[in-house]
Amino acid sequence: MKTIYICTDSVTGIFSAVYEAWKERRREGASGIAIRGSVEPQLFCEYREIPENESRAEAVVRMILTNLGRDVYHHIYYAALSRDDEKGEAILGTLLAARKLGQPRNIMEHLGNPAVEKVFELSRSVGNEAHLLTGFVRFRELENGILFADITPKNQVLPCLGAHFQERFPLENWMIRDKNRSMFVVHEAGKRWVLVQEEDPEGRMDEQLLHLSGQEEKMQALWREFCDTIAIKERLNPKCQRTHLPLRYRPDMTEFAG
Amino acid sequence: MELQQSMSIADKLKILTDAAKYDVACTSSGTQRTNDGTGIGSCAQAGICHSFSADGRCISLLKILFTNECIYDCKYCINRRSNDVPRASFTPDEICTLTMEFYRRNYIEGLFLSSGVLKSPDHTMELIYAALYKLRTTYRFQGYIHVKAIPGTSQELLERLGFLADRMSVNLELPTAEGLRLLAPHKTRERILAPMRLVQNRMEENRQEIQLYRNAQRFVPAGQSTQMIIGATPETDFQIIHVAEALYKKFGLKRVFYSAFVPVNEDTSLPARTGEGPPLLREHRLYQADFLLRYYQFQAGELLTEKDPNFSVFLDPKCNWALRHLEVFPVEVNTAGYELLLRVPGIGYRSAARIVKARRYGKLDFGDLKKMGVVLKRALYFLTCGGKMMYPVKLEEDYIARNLLNVKERLPEGADGMTYRQLSLFDDARFGSMSEKGGTI
Repeated sequence: MKTIYICTDSVTGIFSAVYEAWKERRREGASGIAIRGSVEPQLFCEYREIPENESRAEAVVRMILTNLGRDVYHHIYYAALSRDDEKGEAILGTLLAARKLGQPRNIMEHLGNPAVEKVFELSRSVGNEAHLLTGFVRFRELENGILFADITPKNQVLPCLGAHFQERFPLENWMIRDKNRSMFVVHEAGKRWVLVQEEDPEGRMDEQLLHLSGQEEKMQALWREFCDTIAIKERLNPKCQRTHLPLRYRPDMTEFAG
Repeated sequence: MELQQSMSIADKLKILTDAAKYDVACTSSGTQRTNDGTGIGSCAQAGICHSFSADGRCISLLKILFTNECIYDCKYCINRRSNDVPRASFTPDEICTLTMEFYRRNYIEGLFLSSGVLKSPDHTMELIYAALYKLRTTYRFQGYIHVKAIPGTSQELLERLGFLADRMSVNLELPTAEGLRLLAPHKTRERILAPMRLVQNRMEENRQEIQLYRNAQRFVPAGQSTQMIIGATPETDFQIIHVAEALYKKFGLKRVFYSAFVPVNEDTSLPARTGEGPPLLREHRLYQADFLLRYYQFQAGELLTEKDPNFSVFLDPKCNWALRHLEVFPVEVNTAGYELLLRVPGIGYRSAARIVKARRYGKLDFGDLKKMGVVLKRALYFLTCGGKMMYPVKLEEDYIARNLLNVKERLPEGADGMTYRQLSLFDDARFGSMSEKGGTI
């Protein structure tokens, strides 16, 4: 009978489930991973809830890093951040397929395997969105000097952005909010970024965000002016603009809002 | 002078952005730099686009002029001396403030500083140097800086500047020396090429310094580029593409940019206004050819000839070449060399590399090619897989050309009017102009 491990929608959750599935050493296809909240019941299946477990997830990470290498880990980590419900299944399938290879480090080249192809596709789409957002994120300066940005991404790209902006603004206090997931990446000057999950039903946060620094509105106005002026009107091409900068990013961007 | 003193930073930004918008090349690629922990900023090898303006061009850098005052009188330029336009100049401090504040909010990837010529080339470049020096040292800015070198600047100043900037570019302005004489009477070809050569030599020396001393300062790490205006002077595509090839080969340039001429002045030496808009299709074809030179191992002489000096309006340069060299095709995917695969329309340099890698593990068929990103609707006329073509097709120039024309090409808006035109009995005028220009049908 097939066993399906149900885990939380987070990297730790998925890796904890991988740990359980791996431990039982079943043959391929006899175990699966589903994300809690998106389970479609099947016949002849046993379901098992797996709680998040830091140390077990770390063991899986170590196992991937030593046996498959940094590049494969990168793909798997990015795939785990995807919004796709079948990501757990694909990740487990890829790891099980790698177990059979003579050179498991080349696993990502075996695109003929549907699980590997899926991981590759997910990782690419998460990577693309994260890359676009490294450019499209717009910070505003609050009264207390903190830089704050809102994003509404499809995938959970905050960890990718955290690493990028820590490199870029090591001496600034900044914070990015994922509005779809009520998650934050918070960076304190000179320290490492952290990921925080926090619900804010009363909207206290939003109230604080209204207190902007004295310069902020002026800078926003200058930037809007710049973006308007830089376009050559003889070459107007909104279709081209839309392919490069899809409309869904624009509500969070200074130059298109208001 | 009074006017300038009363001007706010917002007014200046508007004037000097408006004056800088005709510069192309807002790229931020070519440097990989991590932050050293003392300041702000980093660079990504591939570059990052931060926004896109209404004309669809990427906004990556804060593209501004230092000043739009100019002692020159180039006829195509909005800032020419004899034009009556509002003039403004930034101070080095204003440039620093704008760059830092925009960068902190992640509006931009860095600064692109160009300038008109105030008093003399050296005077202007000295002011630009002061701004960049302050940005790099006082503000510890480690983002991307692209600076324009003004021809006629002293060698010593350019060298100092090169250590602060990531990319330097000198505008070629017009493709030939003759055009330059006609439209930019104060500039000569020699004076433009001299700083290019200097930067090239200094970069070469710097490469050796870096090998010796790992921490040696980098000189223009992202290389140099240039741009030229297309359609203001009567050069042919053949001449232009030859100039570009020479620049890549002899000056080691990273990129040559082409800018479709937008008339901003009235002048007897400029082409008359036609109401057709800038020659965007021509610009597009030149960029396609430029990629063939840089990534696809084509030579300029293969793409165009003196007898047939302009690109086809209907077909892109690669398809055009393939149609004229049908004797090379069809190509067998499983055995053909990388260089030959690159020449097949519908196969890009990425998919060619994937094919070469994947065929080690097994024979490829058309289904596999599709997965690898090959555009089969274009490539099927030129390929065999295991000795078989995808469909029975005739290797005839007319037949293939007709079918390729049915495959809609993605063209920039405004440049696509004629490709999808409905045929009518009385409409052979277009075909007349096509055989003149393309000579394929």
